[in-house]
Amino acid sequence: MMTKVIEVKDVWKAYDTLEVLKGISFDVFEGEVKVVFGPSGSGKSTLLRVINMLTPPDKGEVLLRGQSLMDPQADLTKLRAHIGFVFQNFNLFAHLKAIDNVSIGPHLVLGKTKEEAHDIAFKALEKVRMNDWGHHYPAQLSGGQQQRIGIARSLAMNPDVILFDEPTSALDPELIGEVLQVMLDIAKEGTTMIVVTHELGFARAVADEMIFMDHGVIVETGTPQHFFQNPKSERAIDFLHKLEVLYGQAETDIES
Amino acid sequence: MRPTSPNQLIGMLQINRIVEYLPDLWNGLSMTMGLYLFALFLGLGLGIVLAIGRHYGGPIVSRISTAYIEFMRGTPLLAQILAITTLPLALNLDTSWRIILQDIFGTPRITVDITILLCAITLGLNSGAYQAEYFRGSMASISGGQTLAAKSIGMTKRQEIRHIALPQSLRRAIPAWSNEAVYLPKYTTVAYFVGVPDLFSAAKLAAGRTFQSLTVYSLVAVIFLVLITAISWILSRIYNRVKIPGI
Repeated sequence: MMTKVIEVKDVWKAYDTLEVLKGISFDVFEGEVKVVFGPSGSGKSTLLRVINMLTPPDKGEVLLRGQSLMDPQADLTKLRAHIGFVFQNFNLFAHLKAIDNVSIGPHLVLGKTKEEAHDIAFKALEKVRMNDWGHHYPAQLSGGQQQRIGIARSLAMNPDVILFDEPTSALDPELIGEVLQVMLDIAKEGTTMIVVTHELGFARAVADEMIFMDHGVIVETGTPQHFFQNPKSERAIDFLHKLEVLYGQAETDIES
Repeated sequence: MRPTSPNQLIGMLQINRIVEYLPDLWNGLSMTMGLYLFALFLGLGLGIVLAIGRHYGGPIVSRISTAYIEFMRGTPLLAQILAITTLPLALNLDTSWRIILQDIFGTPRITVDITILLCAITLGLNSGAYQAEYFRGSMASISGGQTLAAKSIGMTKRQEIRHIALPQSLRRAIPAWSNEAVYLPKYTTVAYFVGVPDLFSAAKLAAGRTFQSLTVYSLVAVIFLVLITAISWILSRIYNRVKIPGI
């Protein structure tokens, strides 16, 4: 029996008159990897921010393990600690060493002692293969390294689900591989993930389901095989074709 | 024209006549430093609180902070000091409270009285308004992304301000803030107008009695120059020590 980790129910969001999300619904099950893709401006990033309430929706509901994040009684900061978030621009805490970026959450939010938090952080850094870089400050690290610290920061909170908002879009091409590799590793360990990305190789390797969004609605969903062999909707065909022209065939050059 | 000999120079400047007033000048300098340090640290605490209030406070707190800052920056410091130091007299309060201590030359001096205290507090209240703006500027320069990241790992607003925003903005503020730190010692000279025996008032006394204005004021200028150079140097040392590596 699969448990639902996240339920998104008919979520709407508008900025003034610009409707960004127009009734999005889907469920994410334990251990599932969902890849969300679509043209820019389709509402993918907003959707992720709505899921952990960085941007509260106008209408609809988001549930984490059956508990509504919209409930005024709910302690939002507590619930948010269960939802990891990896940002396009890393957003590391600039004044903290890599290891402290990772341990500050367990220490301050989960209430671990400094030593426990340090151990948790070290293990998280090992997972992203950054354990030798713990004493560097973010500005001393490459983009790929910073993003791996960002992933470790989420992992250290032992979240129910991690949301990735175009984690490789701000990286130089040669740094993308190391980040995707880490994401593949944690996906294979059974981490529940919602990933907004155009890295189709990653999607093909680990996505359980792909969601194609355009203009604030889900246009088409399906397995990677479905999208790579016979996507149904006109817009998905068109968009996938454009990605192919840009990035070449959706073949994964990373070890899977 | 023959070159001036050192003895003649001493004669011209009549340094020997000023020596008699060195204890006054020394005590004046101590008073100035006392006013300065008190006002600087009072202003530092107040400035941080006001900046947080203005930057992070809700509509009410941020308006109160803004009103205070604009009022203190918008009215003359001298007027503020005159108004506040005459307050006890205007309200018919007892103004006889004072602490008299021996100075290093063994002469008893008034170290603190009601006027000196009020003067120091006013300087601090005024400086706090200026300092708040330095801190607010550096708070606004912290990327919004870090705030989102702090939220996303479940930090409360308070934790985010305390552990993410403040450590960075206070560091960043140091170079701009050093402006206030070197400006304030000179600003304290307005205390002279309400009769506080600071460095400037000691200089005024010595100049008035010896008629050696040029020498006395040059000496005061040199003292300030040394003081301010030292403050600048200390602050840039501190900044280099605490600045975030790699940025």
